[in-house]
Amino acid sequence: MLSNSSPVPKLYISVIDDVIESMREVFLDEGVEERVLEELRQLWESKVMQSKAVEGFMKDTLNPSNFVLQLPTNYAQTLRKPTASIVIPAGQNLHNFTAKANSSSTLATFSLPPGVSYPVQIPAGVTLQTSSGHLYKVNVPVMVTQAPGSHRVLSQPIQHVLEQREPVAHQETTTNSTVLQTIAPPVNDLYNHPPAPTGPVIQPTEPQPVACQQLGQGQCTSTELPAVQPPVVQKLLHSQLPPESPSDSPFTLEGIDFSPQPLDMSPTSSFVGQLTGLQEKAGQMQVLGSEFGGREEEDMNNAEMGTLPKVTENTGAVNLEHSEDSVKAALMKAVSYNDLLDIVQLDGVCDSSSEEEQAAGGPEDDFLGMINAEALRALQEGDGSSDGGSSNSNNSDVEDVMPEEEEDPLNSGDDVSEQDIPDLFETDNVVVCQYDKIHRSKNRWKFYLKDGVMCFGGKDYVFSKAVGEAEW
Amino acid sequence: MEPNNDVALDIIITNVVAVFRTRCHLNLRTIAREGSNVIYKPEVGKVLMKLRKPRITASIWSSGKIICTGATSEEEAKLGARRLARCLQKLGFKVKFTDYKVVNVLAVCTMPFQIQLIEFTKNNRPIASYEPELHPAASYRIKNLKATVQIFSTGSITVTGTSVPGEVQVGSSEQGVERTKTFPLVKQCRLKYR
Repeated sequence: MLSNSSPVPKLYISVIDDVIESMREVFLDEGVEERVLEELRQLWESKVMQSKAVEGFMKDTLNPSNFVLQLPTNYAQTLRKPTASIVIPAGQNLHNFTAKANSSSTLATFSLPPGVSYPVQIPAGVTLQTSSGHLYKVNVPVMVTQAPGSHRVLSQPIQHVLEQREPVAHQETTTNSTVLQTIAPPVNDLYNHPPAPTGPVIQPTEPQPVACQQLGQGQCTSTELPAVQPPVVQKLLHSQLPPESPSDSPFTLEGIDFSPQPLDMSPTSSFVGQLTGLQEKAGQMQVLGSEFGGREEEDMNNAEMGTLPKVTENTGAVNLEHSEDSVKAALMKAVSYNDLLDIVQLDGVCDSSSEEEQAAGGPEDDFLGMINAEALRALQEGDGSSDGGSSNSNNSDVEDVMPEEEEDPLNSGDDVSEQDIPDLFETDNVVVCQYDKIHRSKNRWKFYLKDGVMCFGGKDYVFSKAVGEAEW
Repeated sequence: MEPNNDVALDIIITNVVAVFRTRCHLNLRTIAREGSNVIYKPEVGKVLMKLRKPRITASIWSSGKIICTGATSEEEAKLGARRLARCLQKLGFKVKFTDYKVVNVLAVCTMPFQIQLIEFTKNNRPIASYEPELHPAASYRIKNLKATVQIFSTGSITVTGTSVPGEVQVGSSEQGVERTKTFPLVKQCRLKYR
């Protein structure tokens, strides 16, 4: 799985979590309130964010694998041309994205970078998997966009509108399932899918923002074949308004409910994932919310068989496999990396211009604390006069035989103080890591490092291996 | 005696080794942690500190003994040693610059001709020794100067020895003297001009 997401925020968050959790008991034993612990955590996180050393340090929205695209075999070729099919308008990680894709012939999986800003074009035939494992199989080129505000809305120019929307996962479960169930069979029939659980319905909608109301009615706007379409899809996620949605996560799949009991939730089953899509109108959300409420009843009442066949035809084009609930939530989380920049993984040759410190693993052969030493020396130079030497005047001659004059006072060392460019290391680039091997030949150094964190140019990077060369 | 004027050969001092004592115990770990340009070798028990200005490398032992190598002249060696002591002083140790002594000076000279080592050794039997299986150069010692001369068949000659204590320049001049003594001996055995 190709992941272009930065490991740094996750790492830091995991570190913070671990520390906080392990300290919880200690705090309690000491009689300190948990509130203090929470404050500590907040303080810590805010400091990290403020330092801007880590991009996208948003605890709530971090989610390991954002989107995993599983591409069918025939995709390998398409992927060869990076920009052809998979277009990530953000332009981020495109190369990594496709490069990795090329590597696997049968199943190319890679993750959308967290920092990808939507809309994202996803070609047809792709199976999207959110971080929580939900699978969405895309039969139509889709365009995943993000709704402004808190909801991730996928605009879709696809005409087919399938509408289906799920209530909050824990609410109306049964009803929803019922509804979906009724809907599912026809869909499945059409596509020879096994009875599929409910899933969010993808609504292919008109290119122009289609009112949710229209969607709500389950209208199939057009019967354009998916293939014809420009790569758009939408995964319209309907964020469930009334019911609570994971408030913090802007992208919630609350509406999607996949009640496991009657449904086959296995990822491999071909669900008809149905996501209700909303146009990118925040305002619509509210409308939709209410609308969906109404729709739901409608669905329940009608079991819309009539519309379904039509819908399903179109749906067939847009077929999402959905395996779990809270897909929305996951997607939202996953997708909310807009603001996260991509930090390219820094494996490989790492410029040795940054200062190095070695962890307690081994003090040998290193430039330990060079910065500090230099700073210290600079300070000490400022202090001026020699400390250890006697106060004799210069005596640069070789020491005399007399023992008391052997000392050859080093205050004359004032004159010979090195001034050896002590300010070479004013930069604060620091690497804290462990070393595999440090090698030196005359004045050529080679570093083979591992498991490190470095602060370079004010930003933090993490690496599992680093190689460096330097000349002293 | 004057150096080899007639031949106008250049004797180049390539290495000067000097030692001195700081008369105080040095904490190698502290030096390794806080010093700059240091290499800690705990398996041997010393710290190497390299200086750029006079390009020297110093081996520092915890007893306070310091060996300073790599200087290209005796003055430079002295200067480097003092700088080094100053570095240690700044790290917080109460160092004294005592017992400074140049222990070795290495100079190199190149003859414009090749030398027949076997003939040379034959001519200088008692003092010269040549074991091609051990070392490709013929070497002979000059006792009064405590110097060793190594003669290579290519015409390169290295002279390594200690200066007489108390005389700063004696090392290099000694080498020069050496040259003049050696040169005639070598010239006899030269193979051909380059």
